[in-house]
Amino acid sequence: MTTIRYRRTVLLLLCALSIASPVMHAQSQDFPVTTRTLKNGMKVLVQPDHSIPNVALYIFYRIGSRNEHPGTTGLSHFFEHMMFNGAKKYGPGDLDKVMEANGGSNNAYTTQNVTVYQDWFPRSALSLIYDIESDRIRDLTFDPKKIASEREVVASERRLSVDNSNFGLLDEQLWATAFIAHTYQWPVVGWMSDIEHWTMDDLKHHFEMGYSPSNATMVVVGDVSSDEIFQLCEKYIEPIPTHAPPPPVTTVEPEQLGERRLVVHKPAELPIVMIGYHVLQTNNPDFYALNILRSVLFQGESSRMYQRLVDKDQLALDVSSDVEPAFDPTLVIVTAQPRQGVDPQACEKAIYEELDKVKGAPIGDQELEKAKNNRLVEFYREMRTINGRANTIGTYEVFMGDYNKLFDAAKSYSAVTKEDVQRVAKKYFGANNRTVATLLPEDEGSAKQ
Amino acid sequence: MCSAASAQSLRLPPHEKLVLKNGLTVLLLEKRGVPLIDIFAIVKTGAAADPSGEEGLASVTAALLRKGTKTRTAQQFSADLDYIGGSFGADAGADFTNISAEFLTKDLARGLELFSDAVLHPTFPQGETDKILAQSLDGVKAEKDEPRSVLGLYYAGYLYGTHPYGRPSDGDELSLKRIQRDAITKFYEANYAPGNTILGVAGEFDAAEMRKKLEETLGAWPARSATNTSIPASASAKGKKLLLIDKPDATQTYFAIGNIGTAANDPDRVAIRVVNTIFGGRFTSELNEALRVESGYTYGANSFFDSRRAPGPFGIFSFTKNETTVPAIDLALQVLEKLHKNGVTEEQLKSAKSYIKGQFPPTIETSGQLVRRIVVNEFYGLGDDEVNQLEARVDAVTPSVAKQVIEKHFPLDNLIFVLIGKASAIAPAVKKYAEKMDQRTITDPGFWPPPAAAQK
Repeated sequence: MTTIRYRRTVLLLLCALSIASPVMHAQSQDFPVTTRTLKNGMKVLVQPDHSIPNVALYIFYRIGSRNEHPGTTGLSHFFEHMMFNGAKKYGPGDLDKVMEANGGSNNAYTTQNVTVYQDWFPRSALSLIYDIESDRIRDLTFDPKKIASEREVVASERRLSVDNSNFGLLDEQLWATAFIAHTYQWPVVGWMSDIEHWTMDDLKHHFEMGYSPSNATMVVVGDVSSDEIFQLCEKYIEPIPTHAPPPPVTTVEPEQLGERRLVVHKPAELPIVMIGYHVLQTNNPDFYALNILRSVLFQGESSRMYQRLVDKDQLALDVSSDVEPAFDPTLVIVTAQPRQGVDPQACEKAIYEELDKVKGAPIGDQELEKAKNNRLVEFYREMRTINGRANTIGTYEVFMGDYNKLFDAAKSYSAVTKEDVQRVAKKYFGANNRTVATLLPEDEGSAKQ
Repeated sequence: MCSAASAQSLRLPPHEKLVLKNGLTVLLLEKRGVPLIDIFAIVKTGAAADPSGEEGLASVTAALLRKGTKTRTAQQFSADLDYIGGSFGADAGADFTNISAEFLTKDLARGLELFSDAVLHPTFPQGETDKILAQSLDGVKAEKDEPRSVLGLYYAGYLYGTHPYGRPSDGDELSLKRIQRDAITKFYEANYAPGNTILGVAGEFDAAEMRKKLEETLGAWPARSATNTSIPASASAKGKKLLLIDKPDATQTYFAIGNIGTAANDPDRVAIRVVNTIFGGRFTSELNEALRVESGYTYGANSFFDSRRAPGPFGIFSFTKNETTVPAIDLALQVLEKLHKNGVTEEQLKSAKSYIKGQFPPTIETSGQLVRRIVVNEFYGLGDDEVNQLEARVDAVTPSVAKQVIEKHFPLDNLIFVLIGKASAIAPAVKKYAEKMDQRTITDPGFWPPPAAAQK
């Protein structure tokens, strides 16, 4: 009933990126991808599929809130909104109107690492979409009136997803505490005071910094041929000049040397516990073992954490874990919502005990097998739509450095042993490496004190 | 992955319907490409059949299907299901209970056996029942911490009053405490019967083999009579009423405005869809243009018709910071008035038609989407033409048809308002919208005074 179409969103937890994993007969020839790198440096990946007369087109820009600075936090996300607000040929409002009038729709999301633009359209709109995309990549304009109204839109988005959402608020506080040096410490949507103060110059600088074609990867899946896509790219995209990519993010988060704790007091019916553990970036050898471990602990009602916290001890309404694809070392976040009347620390204790068990002894053969089976089904769930495939292929290409790893993941997962799982449990899930954020319900009266 | 493109007109893939000896209606749709099988079943009784005061009964019954069978504990069921990477879910909406499952084709025998076990042989153990009821109760509280997720429940409650569509399908803080195991087993026995169920299977399988397997599993479900649920007629609300739900820490007001809409089989349904696409059903809709794009009042504004057996709710939904609550609501009302005054133009119609047709194919792309579509259509008595004739029906909508649809189906003078927000900041100003304003606090149990507050 209350579903409002949220678009152009900050993606706090990009679940699609729990990266699916083929284990069996998922071969690259089942999903043939053709690639070409344009003269301006943009890489294009095409996967034809004629099962429906539609196309999903994704453009991944390697720029996100990690490329920002204090004072202008949230600028990547705000810029993403401005990418819909007018260029040379398609002025303010035209992009959406023209696209929808031709049967298409669009959206975009921004994370700490990337800004991703998505178009979904009937194949009849193919060349129009290229005209629109090239217009805004080449000739984006900034209308002061649009900046003013869009600033309000983003403030409303922040109120929706953070200020009036207990989970969003606690998540923001957790990142801000777990990172003291690296730029993952601020929210993708930006601090409210920064939202209020971005300038047009900030936007122009961001465009120059992040939007070189060489900093982008395009993925097209659907009712197309590789040849026609490459021809469209030659015509519309290739002439766009390239320039320097964003400066590298050189700050490395220092090792955490002891547990950090924070509390948020807020009117609420139920508490929330979030525990963040520092882990390596997506493209690292522990990636597969860590995902298997997370499956064993959190995936499905037979998982260890669900069995313990939700079912047996009835401490929590839900317990889950998330990790976002990341270029730099990031967090695995364990989230539990304690049942009413349950001390959040009782949830914490149970979580630590379950973690100690996987550290202390290898998981069972059946558990390992189950986790691998789950990764396989997940893979097919992602690959069954043109949209899911565009996102997954692009994510592997951008975060793993090569889309082929999507098809190699089969081997990588089957190579994971019980010992690997135990090793990553010990490596990452220690007390010194964790930040514990707790939201405690507080009634109106005491909240004001 | 590749089959012939069907660029001209979109059609449902071939599928067959059969009725097993026990009365179970079965729909089968073969779809190649990904080695998955999707099951979607409808038990033709939903939350609208919950006894007043025991809202949530149909949902809790559905949630308990997997929580213990004649041969499996809840834990064993989960272990067996998770081992094959399968999924199983059951829930009740207003009109029906839906049960769905998904698994790899290679696990067909095991997957089907698990599905049948849950549907045919649940035992509703007392311990699991107590657990689900307590969890559901906390679930309601957790939802109330996120105002956007409960706006629709308050809206339905205020709009429908004691009509079954006003009841929260997952129950509330009071009703969940009243539900006893005995009521659950009775609900199951009265409603979960093959003759009261439509079962669809779609995906990569061989139809002949599937028929045989279904006979072996669900064919063993003993025929029995089921309660025939009827939904009372729902009449539009007259005049203007406003319910304000106080959430003292809110910095943003969440609002719903509308009245009772249409039934799923309404002859105007396609024209309504076209008009609503223009009014509030897409990003460039008049509502979103006004409230988001032009004014920046909100991150999003939309409208939709939730069509059901009896006329379901129609609403305009949005949110805005406390300070702009009145200007945003005023603007939403102006957009509604403008729709009535100006109707829609040829150009708007053309655009909306392209949009609906262009965006439709990805909604019937997967076996999971397809099986749900054919089973729901079967439930509402809508045939394949609902999909196969969609393009032609959309194209047939003219400005004059649109005008009639606006007058008949979009409210204007009779409106229900439901707001969740900081009452101390907005109450004095929002009174003006209605002759009558009711007020509650979000922590008060229920979603408006419980329907009839019936005590047994």
